[in-house]
Parts: sequence; C-alpha cells; structure tokens
Amino acid sequence: MSSIIEMPVLVMEKIIEFSDFKAVLTLRQVCRDFRNFIDVLRDSKLPDSAIKAIVIVSDYEEDDSKITMDFLFSDNHFDSFEYSEMEHSRTFETKENPERRTTTDLGDSNIVDVAIRDLEWILKFQKSDLNGSYFYFDDFRLHNDSSIYTLPIKVSNMLNVSGRKIKTRELSITTYNKSNNIMSVLPFADSETLTSLDLIPLEEGIIIIDEIAEIAKTEQWKATKELKCDFCLMNLNVEDICHFSRMKIKIPSITARDLDFLKKTYISSSKFVHAFFDLGCFNDIEEISDLWGPAFTPGLSKHFWYFRRKNSDEKVLRIEFYRNIEAFIFEIVESKDVPNGAVIHDYNGN
Amino acid sequence: MSSTEQGTSSAAPAEPTTAPESAAAPEVPESFYYVHGKDKVVHKVSAGALQHSALIHGMISNLGYTEEQAKANPFPFENIDGDILQMVVDWCNQHKGKPTPPEDTNLPKQKEKLFDLVLAVNYLEIKELLTYCCKQVAMMVKGKSPEEIREIWMIPTDAEDEAAEKEAKKRAGKEAAGETAAAAGDAK
Repeated sequence: MSSIIEMPVLVMEKIIEFSDFKAVLTLRQVCRDFRNFIDVLRDSKLPDSAIKAIVIVSDYEEDDSKITMDFLFSDNHFDSFEYSEMEHSRTFETKENPERRTTTDLGDSNIVDVAIRDLEWILKFQKSDLNGSYFYFDDFRLHNDSSIYTLPIKVSNMLNVSGRKIKTRELSITTYNKSNNIMSVLPFADSETLTSLDLIPLEEGIIIIDEIAEIAKTEQWKATKELKCDFCLMNLNVEDICHFSRMKIKIPSITARDLDFLKKTYISSSKFVHAFFDLGCFNDIEEISDLWGPAFTPGLSKHFWYFRRKNSDEKVLRIEFYRNIEAFIFEIVESKDVPNGAVIHDYNGN
Repeated sequence: MSSTEQGTSSAAPAEPTTAPESAAAPEVPESFYYVHGKDKVVHKVSAGALQHSALIHGMISNLGYTEEQAKANPFPFENIDGDILQMVVDWCNQHKGKPTPPEDTNLPKQKEKLFDLVLAVNYLEIKELLTYCCKQVAMMVKGKSPEEIREIWMIPTDAEDEAAEKEAKKRAGKEAAGETAAAAGDAK
C-alpha cells in the first residue's frame, strides 16, 4: 500500500493544483513534509484564491485594539480574520458558517507579524484581479504602546520583500494626514490593473496632505484613470492630475492659468469625462472671464462655459463654477443639452 | 515467468470489434501487446488502448513485433500490483480512441488503491487518468481540518514521525553494533 508522502513531485504538484487555496493552507499544517513542499512551490503552481475584494483595517479601541482582514470571494462567500491585541489571539470566521468560528492563541507572537504573514500567504494565491482593496489605517500616533501602529510599514515591507503587486482595479486608503501611509500601499498596486484610486481622511473637515509630489510620481498614480481624494492637496501641480478621466479633488485654490490648462487638456482628450474641484476659495473669476469670454449665468452664483472638443460635434465640454460652494466642475455633455442663449466656443487647441 | 494468460475484463473486450466506419476503410489488422504486473498475470491489450500510456507507446512504436513475438515478450511492470494494472488496462480499453470525459467517476474510492493507482499511472505516463486521480485525491480533503487530513491520508504527526525516525536509527545502530560484534567474534 502506498502513502501520499511517497508521491513524486509532479504528482504532488498536480494534487495541489486541484486543491482549493484554503486546502493548500491547511495542508501546510498537516506535517513538515507538506509544509516544506508547499513553501518552495512556485506561485504559478498554486491554485487561484478567487478572492474578489480585501479589506484590511487597523482599529484603535481603548480596551482592545484590533486588526481585521476580510476577504470576499467570487462565489460571494466571505471570510474574516480578527487579530486582538488584548487577547493575543486570531479569530477566523466564515460568514456563511459562523459556527465554524475558531480562535487561536498567538502566544508570544507579535499580532501584526502574524497578520502580515497570513496576508502574505493569501496574496500568494491571488491570480485573478481583485475588484477592490480597501485599507483603513487608524490613528495610533498617541498610542505607541500598541504594536498595531506598525501595520502600514509592515504591509509595505512585506510587499517590498516579496516583490508582489496587488492586482486590484480599485484601491482605497483611509488614513490620517500622513502620506507615508498612502505610500505604504500605493506603490505596490499593480499599475496595469489599477483603474481607480480613493484617498479618504479618517476624520471629517479639511485634512491636508502637503507631500503630494511623491505620491504623484508613482507609476500607479500616473496609470490610474479615476481619482477621488477627500484630502486637501497642497502645492498641487495640475499637470499631475490632468490625465484622470474622472476625478474629485480638494485644493485650497486654483489659478486662472491652471484652469485654462485643464480646459485645453480636456477639450483635446477623448477619454476625459468628469472633474470636480472642491476649492477653499476662488478669486480669479474676472481673469477667467477674460480668458474664456463671458460666462452663461443661469443664476447669481452659477457661471457656465461651453467649448467644442477636438473631433467631436455631438459632445462638448461644460465648465461650471459655483460661487456658493467654491467649486469648478468640468464635464463632457451632449451638445443638444446646451441651453438656449449659451455660447459654444469653437475648438481652439491653443 | 508464469503464463496465466487472461483477456482483459469483460466490461472491455480485448478483441477488436469491427467499427462501422472501418468497413469502408482498408483493413489494417490491429496489433496487440502483452503486459504483466507484480502478480505475473498477463493482459493482452491493443496498441490503440496502449496509446494512452506515453511510456508504453514509446516502447512499442518502433518494435514492429509480430503477434508471436509480442506474446513471447510481455512487458514486465514488476512495480505495479496485479489488481492495479488490471484497473489501468480496463481504463485504457474503455477509453480507446475516445475523447476522455471531463470527470471519471469509476476511479477506486479506497484511498489505498487510489494512491497505488496514482503511482502506477504516473509511472506509465497516462496523462488524463493521472489528472482524474489527482483531482480525486485533492477532493478527499476539501474542507477538512489538518487532523482530519492526517486521518484520511494516514499521515503521522511530526512528533510521531520523529519518534519513528529515532526508533529506526536506534534499531540501525543496534544492528550495526551487532554486526561489528559478530565480525569481531569471527575474527577471533
């Protein structure tokens, strides 16, 4: 009678290939022979985890800070890991079967290290693209006694060492005003897959990022088509944002010159759809009217301009300025929706 | 060598049946080869069925044996149990010249047999059958805990494994010591 341990490498590789990724992770715990075998297997020999979305959260609580990692699979089932600092434990739960909740005592291990190791293993099995990856880094600046404040840097180190890129279409990072936390994840998103970037401040109000240049230099920023940034970006160079086809950003103000640069870029672009500029204030309305001609003003606080686009008659660029909310909106609209009385300025790429 | 010659199983007759389309085509007599496993029971198998095995196919493709020569020289597979070789021969006969189905439900359910079958199929290089077998082995442990997997696949824990290794070393050491003592005794 033969034993599974005697199977040749090629056969074991085939068995692993036909196992689901959770079974492979379980096999690692069966015996050291399996562990050693699986640990040296090339990623291409591993099955696809079929994960569609990951959510990684560090959460400060006075009585127990936690890391949670949730995984949504393509068949819509949902697994969750929770690492408790107080309990020094990892709890695994699968939402379809809450009775199978298992808690492991992590002993002397650092819970961040355990979480990172688990994440690294799970990412090893990611072959298909994720719809979304959501990172939420709580503010641990006043709580350095908790080891969880190291989560962003440890995520970054792990991704850096493993050389692994997260193949995700949407990337969302929630953090306080620290571009480091954004940079701990953003450079490790696969730029060929990434289409949408969402940067969210932890708290309401004007939260400023003044080191945007470093973020804007990443290939991920350049490759992304959509940006939603609720941080107020200081010292922004409009050339760093004019490639987004959809965008919502907050900036303290914008010059007439930069607005005109954006207008020229958007009327020449076939991909541009919508841009929303939430401004702290805007005082160059006269200068912009000199550049673009008088605005169509359907209301006291509304200023609209219409421009023909390069190679398109059906659609035009509409630029709206709302004085009451200090916002500029650039949008591609149908020519037939231009109101009577409004002038459509001819295309002039210069 | 024992020469208990057997046809293949009744479910898969070894004799060539005349397929309707072969009536119009020029008659090419099908050649047969003979294989036996550890139990020396000889199985007569058509070259068409044996095509599934890349190993055997490679061996016979340039032989040009006559029926008598083939009969006199069965391929010996001493590393394969007789019942396992029978399963392999049956499978090859059943799937002779047919596209293989996406799943094969006729594989043995007992793990002992399945593991032996996997090793034989891997050795004989029967690609499709190996795929089915590996799928079946993987399915055995789907959704199971490490403890359950150990039980299903009869794998000792690392601690048990280490203890067994120590025991084996100890025994080997004792045997070596015994041999040395015996040799010393001889020398005297």
